Amino acid sequence: MVNATNLFFQFLDSFAFIVLSAIGLAIIFGMMDVINLAHGEFIMIGAYGTTLAANAGVPLPVAIAVGVAVTMVVGLILERTIIKRLYERPLDSMVATWAVGLALTQGARIVFGNSLSSIGVPFGAITYGEFSYSMYRVLLSGVAALVLVGAYLVFTRTEFGVRARATIQDADTAQAMGVETDRMYTATFVIGSALAGLTGALYAPTMAIVPGMGSSFLVEAFVAVVTGGSSVLLGTTLAGGTLGSINALFSNLYGTFMGKIALLFVAVLILRFLPGGLSGVVTDLRERMERESV
Amino acid sequence: MTDGRLGRREFLGSSALVAGTALAGCAGGSGGTTGGSASSSDTIKIGVLEDRSGNFALVGTPKYNASMLAIEEINANGGIDGKQIETFAPDPQSDNQRYKELTRRAIEQEQVDVLWAGYSSATRETIRPTIDRHDQLYFYTTQYEGGVCDHNTFAVGPTARQQLGMVLPYLVDEFGPRIYTIAADYNFGQLSADWVRVLADENDAEVIGEEFIPLSETSFGSTINRIQEADPDFVMSMLVGANHTSFYEQKASSGLDVPIGTSTAMAQGYEHRRLDPPAMANIYAGVNYMEEIPTERNTSNGGFVDRYFEMFPDAPYLNEEAQTNYFSIYMYKQAVEQAGTTNQEEVKAALESGISYPAPEAPEGSEIKLDPETHHVHHHMWAMRADGDHNVEAVDDRVIEEQFLSNTVDCDLTQEDEETQYTPQDYFEEAG
Amino acid sequence: MSGASNGLLGLFDRLCEPFNGSNTIGNSRAFWVGAVVALAITFAYPLFVSAYQAGNTALFLLYGLLALSLSVVWGYAGVLSFGQVVFFGFAGYTFGIVSINLGSTLGTTLAIPVAVLVATAVAGLLGYFMFYGNVSGVFVAIITLVVTLVMQTFMAQTAGDKWTIGEVPLGGFNGMPGIPNLAVGVEGAALTFSGDTFYWLVLSTLVVVYFGLRVLVNSRFGYAMVAVREDEDRVEMLGYDIRKVKLGVFTLGGALAGFSGVLYASWGNYIDPSVYSLTFATMPVVWVTVGGRESLLGGLVATVAIEWFRQQLSVTGSEWAMVVVGVLLLTIVLALPEGIIPYVHRKAVGVLQQRGFVDPDRPATATEEAAE
Repeated sequence: MVNATNLFFQFLDSFAFIVLSAIGLAIIFGMMDVINLAHGEFIMIGAYGTTLAANAGVPLPVAIAVGVAVTMVVGLILERTIIKRLYERPLDSMVATWAVGLALTQGARIVFGNSLSSIGVPFGAITYGEFSYSMYRVLLSGVAALVLVGAYLVFTRTEFGVRARATIQDADTAQAMGVETDRMYTATFVIGSALAGLTGALYAPTMAIVPGMGSSFLVEAFVAVVTGGSSVLLGTTLAGGTLGSINALFSNLYGTFMGKIALLFVAVLILRFLPGGLSGVVTDLRERMERESV
Repeated sequence: MTDGRLGRREFLGSSALVAGTALAGCAGGSGGTTGGSASSSDTIKIGVLEDRSGNFALVGTPKYNASMLAIEEINANGGIDGKQIETFAPDPQSDNQRYKELTRRAIEQEQVDVLWAGYSSATRETIRPTIDRHDQLYFYTTQYEGGVCDHNTFAVGPTARQQLGMVLPYLVDEFGPRIYTIAADYNFGQLSADWVRVLADENDAEVIGEEFIPLSETSFGSTINRIQEADPDFVMSMLVGANHTSFYEQKASSGLDVPIGTSTAMAQGYEHRRLDPPAMANIYAGVNYMEEIPTERNTSNGGFVDRYFEMFPDAPYLNEEAQTNYFSIYMYKQAVEQAGTTNQEEVKAALESGISYPAPEAPEGSEIKLDPETHHVHHHMWAMRADGDHNVEAVDDRVIEEQFLSNTVDCDLTQEDEETQYTPQDYFEEAG
Repeated sequence: MSGASNGLLGLFDRLCEPFNGSNTIGNSRAFWVGAVVALAITFAYPLFVSAYQAGNTALFLLYGLLALSLSVVWGYAGVLSFGQVVFFGFAGYTFGIVSINLGSTLGTTLAIPVAVLVATAVAGLLGYFMFYGNVSGVFVAIITLVVTLVMQTFMAQTAGDKWTIGEVPLGGFNGMPGIPNLAVGVEGAALTFSGDTFYWLVLSTLVVVYFGLRVLVNSRFGYAMVAVREDEDRVEMLGYDIRKVKLGVFTLGGALAGFSGVLYASWGNYIDPSVYSLTFATMPVVWVTVGGRESLLGGLVATVAIEWFRQQLSVTGSEWAMVVVGVLLLTIVLALPEGIIPYVHRKAVGVLQQRGFVDPDRPATATEEAAE
């Protein structure tokens, strides 16, 4: 018998984890064709920034902001020095960011040691009957939704967002029309880094803070990006929803191992049978509806 | 397209490069801490392969440190039989492939007299074939699932049966017979879960549920719900690694406060120092050693803890395995002095003659014994409890002998050389 | 064109001819003379060093075979695969399972082709799935990466008696020990490879594969591969089925990686899920990038050099090892994107052109030639 409330909370937890794991990677990849293999390390930097600040006495929300800020700075430096030379070379950017990731992980170990003291999880539990669930982890799903909505608003409703999308769609024309394309690329990369840092910052209270911690987000991140399809935000949302529900359902029924296997299996099916990804399905539907209404 | 004139640069290019790398393989002989020859007749060469980077750095570094502490102490006191100890101590980077390469190097090139190597069981099994092929004397010091009956291997860390056998009966007495097991989904976790079933049967308890969690998992919401649904008297946790540490944080934030018995948490990765209270509250560790055990040799002025932090003031914790490395080096010293030689076969025979040592884990007046027949140690075990503020204190202790190999399997290395690992599934019905 | 100016050299030139072409660097007579000298040195190597050294170098050489598999798939056909280690691992495990189950040296001999076949089949399946599903570019890289991670998670939990094939437990995280040395023949009349003989076997395999690949990449199929790498759409419009080309190359890469896996399993007499780890999955990419993606020789040389270097760093216990590797890789990607060997080759050609040793009108590489 499946307890519906349990399943619901587990779904929210899973949705949050997938969306937050993927969003930074998805923005950078979807908008710039750069696969950031240092994505895990960006998450780690956000977590480290937050933990160090919180352990120094800073209240958690501020510490999270610190974590995000530090990651943004690192992203900025990386973009200006390395990434900008590799825009035409997506495979090379993979290798280069992998190299950076290696250096960052070991660097963190050298500077900060093998682990940091963790910060406690705030907010306590939601209790219902004999069960309870961490309120914080459930709230993260709300944060994930906010991040998605926020990114959507930024990229569609603000001038910056429009210019950024113009640059990505057709850099030459955008430049001809006065958009500073270099700045747009940098800004987009920094936003992607900030979101990765946010993920690390948000999950830091619930995890052990070790230099290799970023790798536990990688599988979900890559799978979500690949199944999401070309529309970044829509794809990430759909991936989070679909894969999250599969993962939650199977974890609930058969255990965490089966949950993970089911998630990967469904991802494989999506890859094979939906070449445009999940967002491709929606875009196709939309186009078809527009055509029929004309 | 051949043209003699083009040739010279290509000649230089190709032959230099290809031959150069072949020679580089030659040059690989130098390097390392002490050069490439066997120990001279007035030094003893000890190989220490412990992780100081990579996934196991957290638990491997204390093992390395404690080994160096023991070696320095011994050297300062005149060495072994008057001979100073030199070390070959590279960093295998938590990489089994590296372990393989470095073990071969330690044995074939550095020709160490004795080898300490590896944190995980996987590492031990990776290098054991090489060890056995060369009949290299080898100490494996991490807690593990048990069952290794090997002429060359001295697995001197506590076994799962000893650790779980310390904490499980205590918890059954305190809280009741309904047990829920959560374990890391790999050999050690699965075998430990088997032992939980065997021990439950021996203690009139019952395993009402089991869950195996992949090593990479960091989300434990559904696990916690399942525990709540099962409503056990206590939980046995054999979770391993940094990812699984999240379980304790998430359990605390879900308000799950069922007592938890463990063989893996706190003693190795000092979660009670790293996590905010009350994540580890009500957790009972069954261990032979943690920094907090209340023996005189450990906590007194100038005791083991003091000496360790004097040599390593920046170390965050003195963990379970570090003590095992420490006392086993002293046991080796005893055996060499007893045998009068570093010849490995004779030292093994000396080790099989009934060595005992006043290790920090044993209370004043007692020593721990190295069992001749199984090459394991009859440990002095402790049940250590962390309270709501993460203060750790001992609630129970006694000597637990190695039983599986001695009593069930009949492994007797003094009579017959073997190189096998036994599992409880072959011997106990309850283990499934 | 000096051609057969004198009999012996002319014969030598003609022998080298099939291996030359614009898709490989190093096509001149003196390159081949140099190659012969280098080969002689590397073959004689075990006679001058200890058994440990020879065995250690043999490991680097079999990694070279793994690098060649990626070189041909990525460098020549443009398919970046993080999954070569999947085929490596499948073959290694299969070799262990079959050889231990069958027992005798005949069993071991049979295990070799079975293992390579399994690896090839897996590569074919994965390749079919990806290329006939129109997955390309970075998505191939991501999918192969995810497959590798999945294999690691899956294999790590195959501990316990129910995960046994025949009499051989998969061993889970602890791996599968007791894998026998490579052997060819029947009991009593068999040739077993270990120590020096293993080194020579690996080296010979490497040489054969290298020469075979040289022929392949300079053949029509080789040109098709390069064309697919350079401009897929145009190739399709010319009537080639690029999916078939990619699948063919990918499967070949799988077979080569598989054979490397067999050698690996018998080198250490052991295999475990760490062959599927993220680090090991990316090493072939590192080797091939540094050595020169479009150069078979480059990949080989870089593999041996990098692995030796990493081992040295580990021996000295330096905590900077991984940082150095990362920085090295980054520098190569940014500064020498073509890789070290092609760069050295190009520079050397430039120098010799200036000195008049080389006809300045003659292009040094295929790319340059194509650009004219």
